[in-house]
Amino acid sequence: MTLTADAKTSDRQAPPLDDIDGPDAPALRPTRLTVGHVVLGAGFLLAAAIVSILVGPAGLPAGAVLTEVLGRLPLVHLHSGLSATGVVVVWQWRMPRMVLGGLVGAMLAIAGASYQGAFSNPLADPYLLGVASGAGLGATLVVVGAPVIGQIPSDLLPLAAFAGAVLAVTATFALGRSRASERSSASLLLAGVAVAAFFTAVQTFLLQRSSPGQLSTVYSWILGGLSTAGWGQVDLVLPYVGTAILVLLACRRLLDVMSVGDEEATSVGVRAERVRLVVIVAATLGTAAAVSVSGLIGFVGIIVPHTIRLLAGPSYRRILPLSVLFGAGFLILADLLARTVLSPAEIPLGVVTAFLGAPFFLVVLRQARRLG
Amino acid sequence: MKRSWAGYFLARVVVAAIVTALLSAATSAAPVPAAQVAIAGNATAGPVFPVTVHSGDGNVTIQARPVRILCLSPSATQMVYALGAGPQVIGVDEYSSWPADAPRTKFTGAETSAEDYLPLRPDLVVLSYPSGAIVQQLRELKVPVLVLPAATTFAAVYSQLAELAAATGHGAAVGAVEASMKEDISAATHKAGSAARGDSYYIEIDPTYYTATSKTFIGAEFSLFGMRDIADPAGRLSAYPQISAEYILKTNPDYVFLADTVCCQQTPAGFAHRPGFSVLAAVRLHHVIGVNDSVASEWGPHTIETLVALLGDTLRS
Repeated sequence: MTLTADAKTSDRQAPPLDDIDGPDAPALRPTRLTVGHVVLGAGFLLAAAIVSILVGPAGLPAGAVLTEVLGRLPLVHLHSGLSATGVVVVWQWRMPRMVLGGLVGAMLAIAGASYQGAFSNPLADPYLLGVASGAGLGATLVVVGAPVIGQIPSDLLPLAAFAGAVLAVTATFALGRSRASERSSASLLLAGVAVAAFFTAVQTFLLQRSSPGQLSTVYSWILGGLSTAGWGQVDLVLPYVGTAILVLLACRRLLDVMSVGDEEATSVGVRAERVRLVVIVAATLGTAAAVSVSGLIGFVGIIVPHTIRLLAGPSYRRILPLSVLFGAGFLILADLLARTVLSPAEIPLGVVTAFLGAPFFLVVLRQARRLG
Repeated sequence: MKRSWAGYFLARVVVAAIVTALLSAATSAAPVPAAQVAIAGNATAGPVFPVTVHSGDGNVTIQARPVRILCLSPSATQMVYALGAGPQVIGVDEYSSWPADAPRTKFTGAETSAEDYLPLRPDLVVLSYPSGAIVQQLRELKVPVLVLPAATTFAAVYSQLAELAAATGHGAAVGAVEASMKEDISAATHKAGSAARGDSYYIEIDPTYYTATSKTFIGAEFSLFGMRDIADPAGRLSAYPQISAEYILKTNPDYVFLADTVCCQQTPAGFAHRPGFSVLAAVRLHHVIGVNDSVASEWGPHTIETLVALLGDTLRS
């Protein structure tokens, strides 16, 4: 890869302020994040957020909704004229649903990108080390156990899903870490497969013995969705997702260095094994928090990073920040489709992302093959 | 992993949908159930076996009056006991909650191997959602199987009642049971009067806003009172669609029925405290009513009479 020289130079020397547009732009592929990319990503996210706030079955006038939102900004004093009901719709439902969608999308996309970097595997996704199966088992235990244990608050489900996900990934680590560092990532992946199979087996057993009502509750959680999103869920996931995203963003240069191989990275002073551990822990905790409130939404962690890679090059200094912006915008738009295409009926969000994601991914794959 | 899960469930859903479609096609293909013919012939002379009844998947001939009935469907259990065939029952599934003293087993009615049932030596098995090749396996063992799929209309309920009556040797009882159900329904609708005619309702099947349209059996029960289902515009692709809180607020239903009090511990008070719901007409008028989850999935006489009586009392006030 051409990254070797580039990654080293930009890490060690003071890089030019803008190495893509400047007259002294090097012949190597540019790897720094450009203002243009950020503006594009932020614009996409902002547009998705605004549209999702404006659209809904309550049919509120767009002007009044915009005025209502702007009026809450500091130093802006506007009166929207929305009814009390309209204010509830905007602030209690549409807004937290949009924010939660954005957080989950950003988390899944950056986790996918980070896993792909940490494992040097283009098919790595946020569920690689057992997050999905662990969260699924946690959710199933709550749903199936509810009649047995008695009165259980319904908000226990996200906590159980989170605990299950963390447990599964911890098991993967405990079983998969080997001393030989070059074999470590392969044995982690295999341990992840084994743990996922085991957790899934337990979940299947429980579901097979559950009632049809419980089956459909678990099934609808597995398909993913944001239909009951509220500020409480935003509060629940924000600390984890926020921290995870910041940690992963801080690792973006190191992932670039590691993309040339562990030995080469070690030769320039990067402890690849330690970086990989930090990246995996951050990505996994963030993903576990995200899926605990959204259910298992697939494909975001694959298609968003790969699309960015195709458009903006293979540097993680671009892919990671842009994954946050485009991942958030993508999931907000997918959720918009989930609740409008068959309105007033909703479609599971995981169905929308996979339905859009699978064909889109194939196109990206063909393009990538053509580009070599 | 995740995809294989989805695949597993999808496969089950698709199979269930195909089976349901085939079964309902089979039902509609025979406008006059054989059971009713048999009853007509035996009404005065008492039950005479062998009798041929119409099952969801074709005609079934029962050679002798069954005395070891395995009834693995809550709705069918209610019908069998209402007909007076309870003493012939040796086992019901674990979800059959009425009557309370029915001999409950660990079976769910979704077993895939006929061998599971053999220790009980049944001479009639009643199922609603047969899995795998269970029906064929039981027939190979010469155990008659009656498949009674989920009813979506009252006509289907009465037709299943007639088939069960003939199959169990209680053909003479079916008229009285049907008349008693109709009497209860008419008493309840009379009690409610026209108070709720045209009023809208939302029936919650789970707290993520899965609901039922008027094309379902529970919808048919509400239609008896002239009520309007807010979910009908969402029912283009599914009779059990998921809607949103915002849509509930927009349609502002006059009544809310929570059929997720057991699975998900929902209560009218909890419903009223969900963000934004305090402005709903149903909340302000205390028209949020918790019901047992089973009303949304059962079509037996006991479930019907309980719900209809509740509606009669509720809608009057």
